Amino acid sequence: MTPAIETVNLSRRYGRMVALDNLNLSVAAGAIYGFIGPNGAGKTTTLRLLAGLLEPTSGEVRLMGQRLLPGGGQRLVGYMPDFFGVYDDLRVWEYLDFFARCYGLDGARRKRAVDELLSLVDLSSKRDAYVQSLSRGMQQRLCLAHALIHDPPVLLLDEPASGLDPRARVELRELLRTLREMGKTVLLSSHILSELAEVCTEIGIIESGKMVVSGPVEEVRRQLQGGSRLRIRVMRGLEAAEARLRQLVAEPQEGLPRLGVLRHDPTDDQALIVEMAEGDEEAQARLLAHLVGQGVLVSEFRPQAENLEELFLRLTAVE
Amino acid sequence: MRATRWRRPQLNPIIVREVRTRMRGVRPYLILTAFLVLLAAAGVGIYQLMLQQARFGAMLLSAQVGQGLFRGLAFVELLLVVFLAPSMTSGAISGEREQLTYDMLMATPLRPAQILWGKLVAALSYLFLLIFAAVPVFSVVLVFGGVELRALLKALGLLLAATVFFGAIGLCCSAFGRRTARATTIAYIVVLLLLGIPVLLASVWGLFSTPQGQLPPPELLYLNPFSALLSITTVAPAGDMTAPFFGFGDPLGGLPILSLLGPGVVYYGPNGVVVIPVYRATLLCYGLLTTLLCWLSTHLVLPNRRWRPRWSDLGFLLVVVGFLAVAYLTQGWWHIPAPKQF
Repeated sequence: MTPAIETVNLSRRYGRMVALDNLNLSVAAGAIYGFIGPNGAGKTTTLRLLAGLLEPTSGEVRLMGQRLLPGGGQRLVGYMPDFFGVYDDLRVWEYLDFFARCYGLDGARRKRAVDELLSLVDLSSKRDAYVQSLSRGMQQRLCLAHALIHDPPVLLLDEPASGLDPRARVELRELLRTLREMGKTVLLSSHILSELAEVCTEIGIIESGKMVVSGPVEEVRRQLQGGSRLRIRVMRGLEAAEARLRQLVAEPQEGLPRLGVLRHDPTDDQALIVEMAEGDEEAQARLLAHLVGQGVLVSEFRPQAENLEELFLRLTAVE
Repeated sequence: MRATRWRRPQLNPIIVREVRTRMRGVRPYLILTAFLVLLAAAGVGIYQLMLQQARFGAMLLSAQVGQGLFRGLAFVELLLVVFLAPSMTSGAISGEREQLTYDMLMATPLRPAQILWGKLVAALSYLFLLIFAAVPVFSVVLVFGGVELRALLKALGLLLAATVFFGAIGLCCSAFGRRTARATTIAYIVVLLLLGIPVLLASVWGLFSTPQGQLPPPELLYLNPFSALLSITTVAPAGDMTAPFFGFGDPLGGLPILSLLGPGVVYYGPNGVVVIPVYRATLLCYGLLTTLLCWLSTHLVLPNRRWRPRWSDLGFLLVVVGFLAVAYLTQGWWHIPAPKQF
């Protein structure tokens, strides 16, 4: 299946500074792709390149299988910039009507599109209000509606959740899910991972203009974690279990996984957390069997997933 | 999902938006009121000045009052327009950048020429409104007579051409400057240089000419709208100097300051007063320069690939060639050399 968004060795320089370095990105149609990275990582540059607002220094962009040519991508893309402005002196419906006219929608279609989008972003009651009188969250939704006015298959949203209060963020997430159900491909950027983790189907982590990792959320998580972290709760014989595990850390035993750091779980004094070099289930099962064979009464034995936020911080930490 | 098929909009969306918002709030009405009050005050002032001169013994005909009023009002209106036009357009593009709507606008299929055309028309339409709103003030001239309808139309044409040209200067500066304050400053510097330098050079021309005392060539004043207006509003006295058309010996009608603009436009020779119609060249120059400024703006407004040739360049080239062809074919009409003085 042709990806909705594809970049091939996309690079962009500003003078001597490399903002984007050979970015190869592929986003499947219908996906919500979270583009994550610290400030200055190259997210906005990528989105502006995809929207046709910047010219790549090298490489190319393909949208819905078509190579992006100068002035050709506007019909396929709805773009919501990071710092968006609104025409304060316009009413809400006039604002959408203006952009509908920019995309050449004729009278009846324009009116229908404005009404439908106001309903979608829940601003029908504010139809005749001036844009300047809307709250930040409402303006954000209005700006999102503007990006949808010409019914594009691809949406590029730059930091859509920044500056929103928790309620507005929840509303935005709901809106993104609705868009996904409508079949839109959404690429959204953020420097705050928790904003996106729940709603994205795929994520990509970018740093210093280079893609660190990209793919479906779970795959990225697995790929990044490498080994695994186990949480072992012991009913009786905690000292014995700890001593045995420390022994395995110091002297790895054949047939058992190699163990890394061992520590107590700060939230539970009957639990231990141990890191394993291998992350496969078989190694975990062998360790469990070994502990049980040593007479340790294990009440809970499970891999403890590192959350995405921790992964992100680890990945984007200064090298 | 299939993308919407792009079709050219019926009406320029920028014009629709600007028209919707241009007259919102009290500001446009305040500007209009102030403009008309200033113009009316100037008319009353000129009338009082002429009455004052009559009280000191000058013969004053009703036609002369009409001509004086026409000239004075036209100059005041031109002055207002020349200084208002750049300020109206200098925020057109930089304003979009400042209020962070530039990217959103550039992400639409609107072409740069459409954006600029919309901005220019929207800004100028308000100035045209000011000009046409002033027509009733000008109608006072008809009470006194002395002004040909042709002269009125010529003055109106010059006012409109100057509005477009000075508006285009503001627009170009707006596309060039990232900030409105910077764009406005650059626009006013250009306007002041355009107005000041020819007049300054014309006033000192005689000191440096060989032989000394020569009057400046009219070509020097082609870009100055005030010189052009002077050439429209000044009626040379008839050849028979024993029966002068004016009560004043001065064909400028005795109005102050205008004499500064006289050199290069009004020549006093042994055969009487000669007024060079520099406005013809001014109109042609404004047309040509407005086209060039608009072309430059369509490139400056682009976020990338600014200087890549575009199809619209061909259109601009054709217009420029058209202007040059007209200028070449009508050379005898607009290029009138100064009469021999010595």
